[in-house]
Amino acid sequence: MNNHIDTLVHSLAKICGSKNISVDPNVLNPYSSDMSFFKGNNPNLIVWPSKTQEVTKIIKLANQMDFSIVPVSSSSNDRHHGDTIPRKDNCIIMNLTKMDKILSIDKKNRVVMIEPGVTFEKLIPKLQQSGLRLLLPLYPTGTKSVLTSVLEREPIIIPRYHWDTSDPLLCTEVVFGTGDLFRTGTAAGPGTLSQQKKAGQAHVNPMGPTQFSPYRVIQGAQGSLGIVTWATMKLEFIPSEQKVFHYHSNNIEELLDFQQKLANYRLCDETFILNNLNLACLVKKSREEIENLTNSLLKWNLIYILAGRGNLAIDKLNYLEGDINDLMRDSNLTHLESSNLIDKNEILECMNNYTAEPWRTRYKGSYQDIFFISNFENIPKYIKKVELKHPENLGIYIQPINQGTSYHCEFDLFYDSENGSETNDLEGKFNEISIDLMDCGAFFNRPYGYWAREVYARHIEQTSTALRKVKKIFDPNNVLNPGVLCFDK
Amino acid sequence: MLQKQVLENFQKIVGPENVDDSEVMTNAYSYNWCMEFVNSSEGKEPIPFSSIPKAVILPSTVEEVQQIVRLCNQYKIQFKAQSTGLGPWNQPSSENCVILDLRRMNKIVKIDHRSLYAVVEPYVSGAQLQAETMKFGLTVHMPGAGPQVSPLASATSMNGPGFTSPHTGHSARNVLGVEWVLPDGEILKLGSVGMKNDSDWYIGDGPGPSLRGIMRGWAGAKSGIGVFTKVAFKLFPYPCSTKFKLSGNSPDYEFEIPDYMKLYVMDCKSYSHLEKVFLAIEEEEISFICSHLSGYGLGAIFSNSIGSLMDKIPIAGMLVPLVVLIAARTKREFEYKQKVMSKILIDFNLENVIGSKYTPNSLFYAEALRSNLGLHGFIATGGFQSSKGQCDTVKVCVKTTKESIPLKKKYIKKGVIGNDFGEGVWITSYESGHYFHIESPTMFDQTDEKSVKGMAENMEENYQFDLLKHLGAPFFVEGDKMHDLFGPEMMNYHIWLRKIKKAFDPNGIADSGFYISAK
Repeated sequence: MNNHIDTLVHSLAKICGSKNISVDPNVLNPYSSDMSFFKGNNPNLIVWPSKTQEVTKIIKLANQMDFSIVPVSSSSNDRHHGDTIPRKDNCIIMNLTKMDKILSIDKKNRVVMIEPGVTFEKLIPKLQQSGLRLLLPLYPTGTKSVLTSVLEREPIIIPRYHWDTSDPLLCTEVVFGTGDLFRTGTAAGPGTLSQQKKAGQAHVNPMGPTQFSPYRVIQGAQGSLGIVTWATMKLEFIPSEQKVFHYHSNNIEELLDFQQKLANYRLCDETFILNNLNLACLVKKSREEIENLTNSLLKWNLIYILAGRGNLAIDKLNYLEGDINDLMRDSNLTHLESSNLIDKNEILECMNNYTAEPWRTRYKGSYQDIFFISNFENIPKYIKKVELKHPENLGIYIQPINQGTSYHCEFDLFYDSENGSETNDLEGKFNEISIDLMDCGAFFNRPYGYWAREVYARHIEQTSTALRKVKKIFDPNNVLNPGVLCFDK
Repeated sequence: MLQKQVLENFQKIVGPENVDDSEVMTNAYSYNWCMEFVNSSEGKEPIPFSSIPKAVILPSTVEEVQQIVRLCNQYKIQFKAQSTGLGPWNQPSSENCVILDLRRMNKIVKIDHRSLYAVVEPYVSGAQLQAETMKFGLTVHMPGAGPQVSPLASATSMNGPGFTSPHTGHSARNVLGVEWVLPDGEILKLGSVGMKNDSDWYIGDGPGPSLRGIMRGWAGAKSGIGVFTKVAFKLFPYPCSTKFKLSGNSPDYEFEIPDYMKLYVMDCKSYSHLEKVFLAIEEEEISFICSHLSGYGLGAIFSNSIGSLMDKIPIAGMLVPLVVLIAARTKREFEYKQKVMSKILIDFNLENVIGSKYTPNSLFYAEALRSNLGLHGFIATGGFQSSKGQCDTVKVCVKTTKESIPLKKKYIKKGVIGNDFGEGVWITSYESGHYFHIESPTMFDQTDEKSVKGMAENMEENYQFDLLKHLGAPFFVEGDKMHDLFGPEMMNYHIWLRKIKKAFDPNGIADSGFYISAK
């Protein structure tokens, strides 16, 4: 160890104990790369805080000793988009996996409060015991941090419950880059958290305090403005009845049209469109099963779920099903083909639970995902563009978000990362396709890794200028994840 | 008045006919509703006039707004922007200020019925937009202030609770793309509309952090952080058939009630029961309106005058009323929703008085669809304003209601505010019961100095009360005095808000009277 690191270890040990710090290269090396093509630096060390006060002290120390911090929350090494790889020298990893408490589950107010290290595999069963469910992304990996998923605005699969882009995130406790502790939304006060709880609050209003909403700038910041030490999240009750519908077609436009009407009238819970390969990857495990199912399915697959709860659950399903049938008739969509190729329970498992390993790795071991937000009209144009460049081994996922006002479009490029030439070829295609999409109007609202520079170059300059002002306010010394987004200057 | 050269420069931007610094015009613009009690709160004479603006300027494009703001920076003159202009928040807080009246920016830019959003300019009213969206079977969220106000102002700059909030949410959470002239004159475009090529309005967040968090919070910045010239926001399925047939003369129109609407008014009899019923109904996701009003408030929403209010004694006598309106697009949906309500009535031992003890005029249903119920707050004394404005769980809203009754009664007893037995509140659910807000509409006489002063004192005491009891931050925490009062009790947020103001408005040009100054 050099002197600087030695001093740093000593200082950090005073904050969270020497057993919670490591400089072991075997521990550090996995943090210098991830499953993306992004190349970064090795961290100097890794620290595992277990309390908010420790996080605060470490960030204050970073401001004093001029080192930077990359926060990591998921417990597995299956990180994907380069946002946790150090870009600068003199950087440490703050691993938040020891802050893994479910602080409260409030059934009456449909809200949960969790720390950043809480994973899907920990939280989903706990909530199920209470008759509650999270607003989930599509079949999340069990070891993934729930909070990270939400802070990164991963799309959720029930658009009608997606009232705002920020959902299901509600209130947060955050330590800004200055080392100052803050609470957002109604958690800001007046009063302490326990005084607020005593008054009957449950931190379900994310807006504010008063005339600004800092939670919105923390979200999507890739840990570059503040480190969230707990957050509350919106929940829903578990339905007692769920009915799966699966339509497939070779014409995506008619499925999009149908799905748009479902979203418009808020008739279904989960709904998304997958191409045959991605649907097969979602529900099957072995490559052979995936290939067989892919070959049996028509190219495009619309899944939606109707759900009801309590004594009138069946009544609800009947009314929804009847109304949807009328809608299909009135929209001349009755020719759409319903599929029985997949056991409905297999689909429900993917809606209600987590997967042990990322489902996108099932086909060829590795994948690179290109994702962005689109309006309704442009989706077929983007699909055509990507398929022209990369027709094989391509998974496609279309997810209406924010109550159907926009769509998450995702292209999963499957490949074998053990095969050098295939990997090299894919890296080139990944970059080329990404740029092509940006050039024809795809909105990359989560600009990871090398995308960031390209994305901000395609936005008006005022966007970067305004974001840098925000960075200067909350992290003036650039100690948090320096170099991400447009914060490289 | 403006100096001659300054006036000429503003005229060059918008044309001489669109700048006016005459005494008569600037004096007229210094009037606004509730200005008298704001003045009283600030220790000034309780008159309904603010500082007189130096001039009134009417831009018609974002480029003109930009040039005006740049000129304001050059001459160190503050600006205050207003859209439909209801309330004291539209008023300048100093005499070194021009008003940007955005009434010429009155276009509905786009209705995207497939992607369920509309893009509007500042002077488009909710009613105007709703009339257009109805053609696509869609509706718009309108704030409690009513259909006559600007949904752009509500979405970007004000607050946003509405009577239809269970179905249409809160203005701040419905925002998509935004066009925003910053106080330094730069034009910022949020989200997908900020792309250099192929820009569109479908999302307002990113790339990366969402600047919507700087734009506003639970409350908006009331022009203190710039001028919003276009906004996109979500549209919602119109809750029933879009036929809208009115006949007769104002104010007693007859409305042909669309199929599949049913009103429920129930007396929960106790606040603890109200809390349970509220949650039970909202968990079922069936309501278009779900609001608690006091007995008096209930009578008022069905009345157009004090005289007609007197006829509502049978319902105004309710102890803890709950108003629920269900509406449906199809017969099946309607039958299901009625079944759910029937079950809740049995489970909670409630009686729906509509159709048995009371039948409202058909106009009520039109006003419900048009979010036009707030106007009834004016009928008793001609003026009202709301204290409170907290938003979190139904529990904290009910607790706030109960515990604030003695405080309100104190001012009723003094004879300075209208008598609603201290119970006059409005609680509504949002997003099918995920959160709730409470406000306490308080009636006073704007023409009576004693009443105005009493109202101001009542508001002040409510702020202290809410702070002391940790009941959340009310609506009108705005302006330096209020931020300095609440900030230290709320994570010192005022320090961060001031940093934002300083970073985005280095010359302090956007009037901060209802926001915060950089100090």
